[in-house]
Amino acid sequence: MPAPRWAVCVDIGSTFTKGAVFGFEGGVGRLVARAEAPTTTEDLARGFETVRKEVAARARAREPGFSPGEAAVRFSSSSRGGLRIAAIGIVPDLTLSVARLAAASAGGKVVKSFAYTLTAADVAALEALDPDIVLLTGGTDGGDEKHNLANAAALAGARITSTILYAGNRAARDAVVEILAARNCIAADNVMPEVGVVRVEPAREAIRRVFLRRIVEGKGLAALAAALGTDPKPTPLAVYEMVRALSEECPEWRDVCVLDIGGATTDCYSAVEPFRGEPGVVLHGIREPRLTRTVEGDCGLRVSAEALWESGRALIERELAAAPPEEAAAFAAHIARVTERPAQAPASAEESRFDAIMARACAALALKRHAGAMRAVYTAGGKAWVQRGKDLRGVTRAIGTGGYLARNAEDDFLARALAALAPEPEERFLFPEAPVLYADRDHVVPLIGSLAAEWPREAAQLLAARLRPVAEGVERERDRRP
Amino acid sequence: MTAGPPHCIVLGVIGADCHSVGNTILDAFFTDAGFKVVNLGVMVSQDEFIDAAIESDAKAILVSSLYGHGEIDCAGFRGRCIERGLGGVLLYVGGNLVVGRRPFAEVEAKFKAMGFDRVFPPGVDLDAAAALLRADIEEAAHARA
Repeated sequence: MPAPRWAVCVDIGSTFTKGAVFGFEGGVGRLVARAEAPTTTEDLARGFETVRKEVAARARAREPGFSPGEAAVRFSSSSRGGLRIAAIGIVPDLTLSVARLAAASAGGKVVKSFAYTLTAADVAALEALDPDIVLLTGGTDGGDEKHNLANAAALAGARITSTILYAGNRAARDAVVEILAARNCIAADNVMPEVGVVRVEPAREAIRRVFLRRIVEGKGLAALAAALGTDPKPTPLAVYEMVRALSEECPEWRDVCVLDIGGATTDCYSAVEPFRGEPGVVLHGIREPRLTRTVEGDCGLRVSAEALWESGRALIERELAAAPPEEAAAFAAHIARVTERPAQAPASAEESRFDAIMARACAALALKRHAGAMRAVYTAGGKAWVQRGKDLRGVTRAIGTGGYLARNAEDDFLARALAALAPEPEERFLFPEAPVLYADRDHVVPLIGSLAAEWPREAAQLLAARLRPVAEGVERERDRRP
Repeated sequence: MTAGPPHCIVLGVIGADCHSVGNTILDAFFTDAGFKVVNLGVMVSQDEFIDAAIESDAKAILVSSLYGHGEIDCAGFRGRCIERGLGGVLLYVGGNLVVGRRPFAEVEAKFKAMGFDRVFPPGVDLDAAAALLRADIEEAAHARA
């Protein structure tokens, strides 16, 4: 299907609703206009319409030929903080870890995970959270059934309104669905059909369908979707599809990672060969897919600032140590201020500097959790390495996106974040090696992303043309130093 | 061949041992012999064997050790299985289990005392081992029933 002549894309974020008009001439895309307005949380359609009208007016002013009636409209939403998912698996390093991977790649946020058999306390915790989805996994196909049956029975009696998605051992599927017959239960293929084999696509698709039902309910999105004749995508899924298209359609972007540093979370996406198979290196645990997303709920610049101050304290304090002592107190005050007023942009040079410190801590923590590591093992035949998790060393290009990075497109945050992660002698973190950082200056990654599943080539080429390397900015900065 | 789904077994080389040839042969042999093999490869820890056996509901764990450190690597394996809810799983071990020339009977007694159900020397008739394994699995199933 050829790309439409015009596309109007809108992303409803938790703070701002952003929109853009893209034009496609002979398959070549361009950004025609951009607009944004505060998100209207009580009726999301209102903010959507404001942005759509504004961006259409700007597009017409720039290109008189633009006709809104001819434009394809696509939209995404991360309102409500995304889809809240509780993951259940048997062994933490196997099915539970794959369940978490599946939830994140579908654009969800894992609010709690449970291993082995659910206890009464676990069920109480689930009831308190009442997540959008309970992702129940466990067992290889033909493998363990007893944990799944016990967990299904526990869920059958739980006071939750969640959709229960069963994606475990297929041999137990009928029995689990029957136990949960009175609940809102759906089933998908097993996320780990064999030990170490990851198959998250069917569960991801099922989660996407649940997202539509859950997110569209209320807040004006259902009417909007009906009027437009198109369903919204979870914003992280739009970005995920964008990364896939970029990696598959543009050879120079084949091995790429994206860091989306937001107010509430930092999301890391990577598309790269997860295991190189070098001599002397053995992969243990699950083999992750080429394309993955992880999301860190304790790494954010606004809503999650307090959590970041906890999780990233060592990194942040190392940066503050070089500054005068009153800086630390000012930083603490900054954290309190941004937590209270998350919509506020930095008002002074000091606030911008603190935001930069936080952004680097977010990037460092998110990368450390996204990337795998290799540990040295001494064998009779000499030193060998055991790899766990994903090898990001092959990533040649990285993209920084999110509101902060759109405002600070010259911040080479990645090189500094990587430098802050000191290597350990017997452990190697498998971070990207000297990637070139590109800035999403216009914050168009999620917007173009909403086109990526339908028109992958055009979307990928359009994004590739919009991204600029940050290195020039770094050189300028180097020249400025005394 | 027995009726019903194939018996699932977990296979791997324990510890810091990189000998992969025998492991590959065992995988091919037991697969051909009608078992469902979960092969974890080389340098496998006790917990990785147990993790895989839990998820796949394996009836037996076959531990290989070729580099002479089998005794240290296998110490506490049965206890760990019991702690993690796999007390009934069959544990087989085989290979060059100890350093030096010690009578096999001594080695076998040592590993049986550690909780292994069967202990094999380096050279072994695999057909006989498979027959033993099948009989042991079926006997354990009867005992549970």
